[in-house]
Amino acid sequence: MSVLESIPEKLGSTEPFIEKGGVHWLTLGALNVRQLAEVMNSLHARFITITAYQLPKEEGFRLEYHWDLDGQLLGFPFVLTGNSIESIFDLCEAADWIEREIHEEYSLEFTGREYEPLLLRQGDETGVNLRDGVATSNAVAAK
Amino acid sequence: MSYKIPMGPYHPALEEPYKLDMICEGETVIDAKLHIGFNFRGIEHLAETRNHIQVIALMERVCGICSNIHTLTLCNAMEKLTNLTPPPRAQYIRVIMAELERLHSHVLWAGIAAKLMGFKTMFMTCFEIREKVMDVLAAISGNRVNYSMNRIGGVNRDITDPQAILKMVEKLEGEMLRTVIPIFTTSRTAASRCAGVGVLTHEKALSLGVVGPVARASGVPQDLRKAAPYAAYAEMEFDVPVQPAGDVTARLLVRALEIMESCKILKQALSKLPPGEIATEGEKFVFTTGTGTARVEAPRGEVMYSVSWKEGSRNPARVHVRTPTFAVMPAIRWMVKGARLADTPLIQASIDPCYSCTDR
Repeated sequence: MSVLESIPEKLGSTEPFIEKGGVHWLTLGALNVRQLAEVMNSLHARFITITAYQLPKEEGFRLEYHWDLDGQLLGFPFVLTGNSIESIFDLCEAADWIEREIHEEYSLEFTGREYEPLLLRQGDETGVNLRDGVATSNAVAAK
Repeated sequence: MSYKIPMGPYHPALEEPYKLDMICEGETVIDAKLHIGFNFRGIEHLAETRNHIQVIALMERVCGICSNIHTLTLCNAMEKLTNLTPPPRAQYIRVIMAELERLHSHVLWAGIAAKLMGFKTMFMTCFEIREKVMDVLAAISGNRVNYSMNRIGGVNRDITDPQAILKMVEKLEGEMLRTVIPIFTTSRTAASRCAGVGVLTHEKALSLGVVGPVARASGVPQDLRKAAPYAAYAEMEFDVPVQPAGDVTARLLVRALEIMESCKILKQALSKLPPGEIATEGEKFVFTTGTGTARVEAPRGEVMYSVSWKEGSRNPARVHVRTPTFAVMPAIRWMVKGARLADTPLIQASIDPCYSCTDR
């Protein structure tokens, strides 16, 4: 059994990875993102990034976590119905900047950590850049 | 007694705006905090308002140094959504452009590093050579910075006379072998400014997930051209230089050796350039609903694009860009800890940072 094939079992999933467009995708049901980060750490996988998507019609957000395992690109999607997800920063320091960036772009909360501004300047508001339906207070005032 | 010294966001030692707040005791840096975002342009948001042709021109402007790499990664991602495969000649031309861009990026960096070392003649030499690399890029693409070479399903311009380009590359390689490589690998000036300075340990490099030459200079042998080959890299023979020391010298050596490996790849690609079309001409395509993800080894390390599209839509629903400097920059904090204040401009430059890429 390859390392890749052993991952679903380690994560308690009965589903195998599905390879699509060069990414090995694994959808995790009840597992939380911190358990995933711990398993990735144990395999010495390299954290790459988190990609955030806003779903249509107030369905929430999808966060795709990516790790590299010996050149293989792994993807783990998580759907958020609310506005928050647990931070993995304390388990994976490489996730620091991207969690801060997503917080600023989409106004999502990564719980269990503190933020310092990354891209934002003093007086800027979170969510204005990429979250639909968020306007700056200046723009609202102008209307 | 400790005191704070801010460097930036606009400072003679920085090529672009960012800020490093350093806590010092005497001449020693105890800790540092980084601030970015001064160049933030909201390009990912803009991409959602562009069609599949316009978005290529837009993403080419994420970076002024590795503009070709951004369109290459974007096109690779969009080709996954359109099920288009570029013909072999186009794949080779993509390799040639990517390696020329690596050459010009590494030589540019070498020049800036030489300037920060106080090695002004080397700075001038590097920039003279860089001009010649850009002449080759202009001979192929007609442009010096934004080459407009990549398109979905291939490239826009052919290399009509590969032998002429090969001669230019061989001449360049000779100049690098005579000047840049021996000076950077043996010069006492370079060694005295760089050895043991700005160390990023192997463990910290792994923990921070750094990429590219910075990772390879800390003994992490990762290179997507080998680990997950794209374009025609699977057909090229080359080595991945790795140095274990993790200091500025190691970063210098890795890039110097990579210059020679790039020349090796260029010579192979130009002499084996296959005949045929340069794009999937006349083939109609539609975007399928889903996400296309692609990774490419840019001069500074791994670039990753995730492009999300809805079938029938004119514009992408989302374009996410993870640039190499975004992954590498947090390491500066660990590199400057314990360093002399006077070494910090060189240390931060040793990662070859691109703030334009980082801020997007």
